[in-house]
Amino acid sequence: MAQYKMLDGNGAAVQAVSMADVKVVAAYPITPQSPIAEKLSDMIARKTMDAQFIRVESEHSALSCALGAQLTGIRAATATASVGLALMHEICNAVSGMRIPMVMPVVNRALASPWSLWCDHQDSMAERDSGWLQFYCENVQEIFDLMLMAYKVAEHEKVLLPAMVCFDGFFLSHSMQKVLVPEQEEVREFVGPYQKKNFWLDPADPVFINDLISLEEFTEMKYQMMKGFEAAEKVFADAASEFESRFGRKLQMLEGYRTEDAETILVGMGSMTGTMKHFVNEQRKQGSKVGAVKVTCFRPFPAKQMKALTQNAGRIAVFDRSAGLGTMGGPLFHETLSAVGSHMIIKNYIGGLGGRDVSPATIRRMYEDILSAKTTSNVPVWIDAKEHPMEIREVLRYV
Amino acid sequence: MIKLKFFGLGGQGIVTAAKTLSEAVSIYEEEYAITVPSYGHERRGAPVNTSIIIDSKPVLLNCFVYEPDLVLVSDASFLTREIDIGAGISPNAVLVLNTEEETVARQFKKTFGFREVYYADATGIAVKNIKRGIPNSAMLGILAKTGIVKIESVTSAIKSAFGAKTGGTNADAAKEAYDAAKKI
Repeated sequence: MAQYKMLDGNGAAVQAVSMADVKVVAAYPITPQSPIAEKLSDMIARKTMDAQFIRVESEHSALSCALGAQLTGIRAATATASVGLALMHEICNAVSGMRIPMVMPVVNRALASPWSLWCDHQDSMAERDSGWLQFYCENVQEIFDLMLMAYKVAEHEKVLLPAMVCFDGFFLSHSMQKVLVPEQEEVREFVGPYQKKNFWLDPADPVFINDLISLEEFTEMKYQMMKGFEAAEKVFADAASEFESRFGRKLQMLEGYRTEDAETILVGMGSMTGTMKHFVNEQRKQGSKVGAVKVTCFRPFPAKQMKALTQNAGRIAVFDRSAGLGTMGGPLFHETLSAVGSHMIIKNYIGGLGGRDVSPATIRRMYEDILSAKTTSNVPVWIDAKEHPMEIREVLRYV
Repeated sequence: MIKLKFFGLGGQGIVTAAKTLSEAVSIYEEEYAITVPSYGHERRGAPVNTSIIIDSKPVLLNCFVYEPDLVLVSDASFLTREIDIGAGISPNAVLVLNTEEETVARQFKKTFGFREVYYADATGIAVKNIKRGIPNSAMLGILAKTGIVKIESVTSAIKSAFGAKTGGTNADAAKEAYDAAKKI
């Protein structure tokens, strides 16, 4: 029987990795992911987890080792954050291109510069086109649940793509919450044994993987990846119904929260979506017709579902936790705008960068702004910036 | 819903105290809790704080606490520090304070406007029970005196969170502080 366990976000990711029959871990510690690397190495050293730990000198090597290990036909694991993920960038594309369905927790932290230890989504957003599925978690239970879902979806023969399970640094990675953890056997039955389905390495039968490919085939191999993403939507839905029947919790690529009759819809990702739901409940008590859409799956982006959930709303406010520099707004805004069209008023709000808290007051400012908006705007509102942002540290003192 | 804010100095175990309280109410009292630690550039002796939200149903809010119903302060030096431990407190807010001096407790009550102050010498009780001046377990004992969590839940959570080696002595510290706590 499933039992409640006290886990923080990192602990929930470790719990899932340790129950998913992972045989090799190669990880390099980085704030706020370090407890994942530490705990996994500790469990392996104490033999409470039957796996090998490879000590590496960087994240580039961590993912490279995990890649090689998984190619031998076993589950391999790593985890990272921020600049660690940036250092993995080259190998991220190698893993997805080789169709290795690896699952990697990513603890969201801002990318330097300026240096920050704290949460925003810039790190995983910078990898959004690296050919990985991307899931974003609202709370600690979802980290555990989406890790299991990630194995199930990534390894499906119609998908065969790696998956990042992204969760907010500190707000989730270091938040202690109770998590319903199923029995090992229940997890094993859901995730299933690892099956090598594409390339694999066998010393008795050597093959060359990831060799130079001619212009005759490159496009087609990328096309195959596209079909994998296309298939992932149905595979996710099927896996989610199996998950719900086994564990009783409903997981969706997009969750509409009180959206049925909502005139205004707030869109967000990650831990802020809990605060958005809380805000929606408070507003509903006063008769405001407001709802929220939580984007759990950013890759593939479920555009049709987004359109369906928002079609009756007149106003949409999209909150991006990354800066979206040099364009009309953040990545979530672009995806949402493309999905829903511009027949309603839709605006983008940038906030929560470098660990700045997304509080109900922040959400309220966004809500009040979208209510007063006359038209769709292609200029994002930096909703929680200070009053005189250009005076901070005088970056432009010579302008 | 109860919103709490813990203040302490790096090394006093404030983040651990918040996690342990979360376990006490989540596992031993069938409530729900989230903790949101506010990490800085960690160093021993620097002021730290952490937010906790407790409710009878799953907690949706996931942000820092700005309007606490209960504030826990594990060092009396916060009376004069730049950080305002009374910022945003609700009108009926309660303070849990590490001091043996009633006069200090009264100063806190008056300066920050708390309705009630629960206090005890958490550091002294810690030294006596765990042989180190880490007041976090004893602070949870004083906290239990306010009635928001049972002392039995606190000691059970401490034993579980601290493990076999130090769980027992830390639980003793919590119990002693619970018994010693005074209210003004």
